[in-house]
Amino acid sequence: MNYSLLLRHQTLISIFGGFLCLAISLSFGLGQLKTWAEIAWLDVLGEGSVALLSFVWIFFLLVSRPPGKVTSALVLGLCFFMFSALLDFFDKFEHYNNAAAFLSLIESIPAGIGMFIMTYALYQWHQEQLTLNRQLQRREAHQREHQQVDFITSLYRADYMRDQIDLQLRTKQDSAFSVVIMDIDNFDQFNRTYGHHDGDRVLREVAELILINLRKTDLLCRYAGDRFILLLPDTGLDKARELADEICQAVRHWSFKTSDNGDAVFHKLTFAADESRNNDDVEPLINRVNRQLDLVKQA
Amino acid sequence: MQRAALKQSLFSDDKFLPAHQLVASLLDIAISRGANKQRLMRGTGIFYEDIVTGQGKISPLQFFKFVANVQAQTNGKDNAFLLGRRLFPGNYGHVSNALMHSRNLSDALRLAQRFQMILCPFVDIRRYQDQHFCHFIVRDALGCGEHWPFIIETYSTALIAASKLLAGKRIPFYVDFPFARPRHIQEYEENIGLRLRFSQPFWRIRVEKQWLNQPFLQPSHSLKQHAMQQALQDLPDGVSFLKQIRQLIQCLPASKLDTIAHRLNMSPATFKRKLKSHGMRFQQLQDELGTEQALYLLQVQGLNNEDSALAMQFSDVTNFRRAVKRWTGLTPSELRLGAE
Repeated sequence: MNYSLLLRHQTLISIFGGFLCLAISLSFGLGQLKTWAEIAWLDVLGEGSVALLSFVWIFFLLVSRPPGKVTSALVLGLCFFMFSALLDFFDKFEHYNNAAAFLSLIESIPAGIGMFIMTYALYQWHQEQLTLNRQLQRREAHQREHQQVDFITSLYRADYMRDQIDLQLRTKQDSAFSVVIMDIDNFDQFNRTYGHHDGDRVLREVAELILINLRKTDLLCRYAGDRFILLLPDTGLDKARELADEICQAVRHWSFKTSDNGDAVFHKLTFAADESRNNDDVEPLINRVNRQLDLVKQA
Repeated sequence: MQRAALKQSLFSDDKFLPAHQLVASLLDIAISRGANKQRLMRGTGIFYEDIVTGQGKISPLQFFKFVANVQAQTNGKDNAFLLGRRLFPGNYGHVSNALMHSRNLSDALRLAQRFQMILCPFVDIRRYQDQHFCHFIVRDALGCGEHWPFIIETYSTALIAASKLLAGKRIPFYVDFPFARPRHIQEYEENIGLRLRFSQPFWRIRVEKQWLNQPFLQPSHSLKQHAMQQALQDLPDGVSFLKQIRQLIQCLPASKLDTIAHRLNMSPATFKRKLKSHGMRFQQLQDELGTEQALYLLQVQGLNNEDSALAMQFSDVTNFRRAVKRWTGLTPSELRLGAE
């Protein structure tokens, strides 16, 4: 696991610590400990796990989200909730005299406040997610499978594309769609000359370039090595070729700057395209495009 | 009986692989994909210093452990292919130089065979030719076990990438794989090509004979000789264990386990134990050689069942057919058709 985000949440961590200390000092400062026989262990188990799990939730929020309004609201809400849970938990071990009886009366109020804050935060989270989804457009179709994302380019891998093509074949039998596969020319040579670190960077930047040249409905995935695969819904072969040509032109005019001395290196893409046929299947379709691409590359 | 001195056997726990080659390249790949260096080395007994100084040696078992760590820490299926593409020429020093200056594919393949203990000590290669093709049957020489597919992916890719670099164009190799068609087929297509067959009896590489004379880009006899002289000094003094046994079984056909053990100066019990630690049984090795011979007779020579049975010293055709079925799961006639 990657804990680097934790370091950026110092304020939130202090707030969490504050709630924790307040709960402990209130309960143990005002009450007297029960004897062993008086403790109802089933209750302890139940309340204890609620408190413990709220810790875990806060922890996961802190390690997975960068700082910001939504994160603060989520953590704050959970802290209120945890505060109630802790009071509930501790009073299984404590007697309160009359002066401190208010504690058991008010102990559920923070949880209510917390729930309000969290509801607000979840609404904000929803808005945030919509923004992020827009950023992911053309990288992602109707499904999210983070295990299938390629580390280098942050695009989905071939498996995901196969599933999406399959979905198109099954759901949209009446309208043809096209599949394009593109490949960077002499990429091995580039790797040998400039190193694999720059090679990875080329892959990332070419991916970005292809993305900005696509329409909203298109999907780009990394196929293998220096090969990219495109799914163009409701698009005939001619239109697909035109689009692929535009991408190739964009890449040809883009100058990659090497890490060594900032030299400009230009790249060229080669592509092949085909459209879906009646009673088509995923593998034969991809295979047709791949064979075409090999023919083009050998010529 | 006069006996030539045997080369020393190299076992999977002998430290004879230079740490800076395979491990260094794979380490780079894994780190650039977000893996953690300490966790990659954990439990392998390999030290980072060994890799950097270029002096350390590791055993195949250590390498396999390292591969397992890499696979566990990176979620892609492309590690072997990336490694294969990086092996040549960077990893092999003098041998790479010698290959660079070889005349043609045939010359390079001969060189590769000579320096196989440097290029790929994991395998045992047997070569034969028929009318149209040159075949290479490649077998596990060190008990690679579950990592055998990794080795196959890596070195198939390396062969394709290296031959493309040397010839200046892609040479059409046909590759058979001894496992089912994997889900990450795209890596095979991209790195090895489209002439692939899966679920075959062994890992086999074929190339049409006319390509053997394909001229390479930088031929030079004297530079090649010079590089070879230097490369000879790096050649490990020994031979991978299973490869050695296969050679012995072939030289002493129909010999029993005890004979081979004796020839290796081992007790039969030690010999059996060593075989087991390499994931192999003696019978299995004999069956493999039988399969190979039957395939050769049926597919390459195109003999009928009677003649093949005779050539392999079976008493009758029924026994021959039964044996072939047991070895390959196919009848002799089906096997003959498989040549197409």
